[in-house]
Amino acid sequence: MNTLISGKQVFRILTFTVFSMILFSSCEVEDYYVYGINDIEITPVNSEKDKAKTEAQYISILYTNLFQKAIGPNQMLEALKAIESIGDKQIAFDMLVSKYMNDPEVKLPTDESMRENPEQFVRDTYSRFYVRQPTEAELQWMINYIESRPALTTELVYFSFATSNEHFHY
Amino acid sequence: MKRRKFITSSTLASAGALTMPYVLPSGLLGAMTKPPISEYVVFVLFAGGVRQQESVLQRYLAEGQNEDIEGNIMYNMLAGAPPIDKIAYGQDDTVNDIIGGIPINPILQTPLDQLGTLFPEVRFSKGGAGHFSGLSTGVSGNYYSTQGLRNRPLSPTIFEYLRRYGGFKATDCWFVSVGITGSRPLLNYSAHADYGRPYGGNFIAPTVTFGTPGMKNYQDFKNYHPDTEWQTILEMREFLNQNFSQPGLEIAHLYNDVNEEDSIKEFVKSTFEKVSNGSVILPPVNDNNDLKTVGYAVEVLNWFKPKLMVVDMTNIDVCHGDYTSYLKNLHRADHAVGFLWREIQRIPGMAGNTTMLVMPEHGRDLDHNPIKDDNDWYAYDHSGNNENVRRIFSLMVGPGIDGSLRVGSVDNPIGDASDIVPTIADLFGLKDIVASKGLLEPTARSLFDRM
Repeated sequence: MNTLISGKQVFRILTFTVFSMILFSSCEVEDYYVYGINDIEITPVNSEKDKAKTEAQYISILYTNLFQKAIGPNQMLEALKAIESIGDKQIAFDMLVSKYMNDPEVKLPTDESMRENPEQFVRDTYSRFYVRQPTEAELQWMINYIESRPALTTELVYFSFATSNEHFHY
Repeated sequence: MKRRKFITSSTLASAGALTMPYVLPSGLLGAMTKPPISEYVVFVLFAGGVRQQESVLQRYLAEGQNEDIEGNIMYNMLAGAPPIDKIAYGQDDTVNDIIGGIPINPILQTPLDQLGTLFPEVRFSKGGAGHFSGLSTGVSGNYYSTQGLRNRPLSPTIFEYLRRYGGFKATDCWFVSVGITGSRPLLNYSAHADYGRPYGGNFIAPTVTFGTPGMKNYQDFKNYHPDTEWQTILEMREFLNQNFSQPGLEIAHLYNDVNEEDSIKEFVKSTFEKVSNGSVILPPVNDNNDLKTVGYAVEVLNWFKPKLMVVDMTNIDVCHGDYTSYLKNLHRADHAVGFLWREIQRIPGMAGNTTMLVMPEHGRDLDHNPIKDDNDWYAYDHSGNNENVRRIFSLMVGPGIDGSLRVGSVDNPIGDASDIVPTIADLFGLKDIVASKGLLEPTARSLFDRM
């Protein structure tokens, strides 16, 4: 059964509805949210690499990076003895890496590829030796260094990374 | 008489030092430094465990094997007639099939105890008579009765004292080791917080570096052009290391400067060439590792002219299971020392300006173990719990040191294994400053002060 509603009643209902909408919408405006942001400490790149690799770890990773294959157990043993026989480990590592660089099987990117896309070369090199991407400052420095030195080779870059302090830490 | 003359000389030198302060390369100047007595020092750790009976007492088989044959088988170091029977310590006589039947000819016309001063009864007074313990005491002047292997000495080594207070460069200080076993590579600097790696000496185990491991991993290493390629590497490495230059984040280098690093690499390259063409300066007889090591030590002396070189031996330790080989290696160790002294006198600058100290790291047991060798002679350990393992000797020879002087006797032991470090410090005019740090064995004294 239908109920007859007068025009005046309709006006009252509409007025109430509009008022209610304004009222409720006003409540929504008054409720506001605060989105908190956690403090993040900006740390240098060495902050998470404070443990020295063992010499076995270093040689194993170094060999894999340079030859793209695992070092054999006998070769590892001989390399460890050679390293241990020299007191200054920087000198020992320098000689070991330069010996590796004389090996025809060492796998290095071509100098042309470095020149064609220095940024990609730098990113790949950081990733290979440091297992991280370079910071913007590192990236720019390396690109500038490569571009400003026509005689620079990938071998010298790899040598520098392989015998750097960060490569000996994890 | 000679002792009195030495004391008089020393007193005059001391008086001179009081009126003429000496400025060390480090810039130190004061009452704690004196003019050096010697320009260079070579310290031979006559190591492996030596019994007094077969060395300074010259008893040969008389006490070790109950055979009535005495004699001196160390005639480069000690005056005394060699044995006349049952010769087993020399080179093998293949014609007559006699093992060790041909004694090695002496190298020195005058034995070192006649050229210098012998302390025939010294004591390794504390701790266990183990090789590392003895070697560690030799280079640090301290005893570590509870320290095991795989740990660096807990107090500074003589290398650290000399580099810190004498201003010596890293290549002025070398430990030339017979090998890399027994934690020997840990003897070039201590774990002491105030000293350690920044003051460490260089270390090399040449029979490993120039043996199979080194040949496979170092020989023919690439020479980068110093002004172009190497300079580039150094520039890049400096950049890459900028966040990793703090202590604990470095590759364990020894603070050799760039020139020293180059010199060490050149030495390695040059020595490999000598190995290849057979021109390494080796002793006339060089049939064991000790003798080869001493040969390489002479190469180190020739190349670097280090202020201090320590060289150790070990082949005598075969005595655990083979007394005949012990005698042979003891005879060869003496041959090595004689050769070393002769070669020092052939090096311009070091000749006449070098003091050599010789001391075993510890003794051996008085009683034999059950093992017999081919001659039916019993073997000896260094197991402790007897005074014989604590009996050692010290010998020093060089400028200003009296010859034919013996200080102490069997009944009156004088000297301690911890004395070598203060003695070396004394030779370089640093005795007082080293002693003032309070890190030596409290009873350690310079051998000059024991006379």
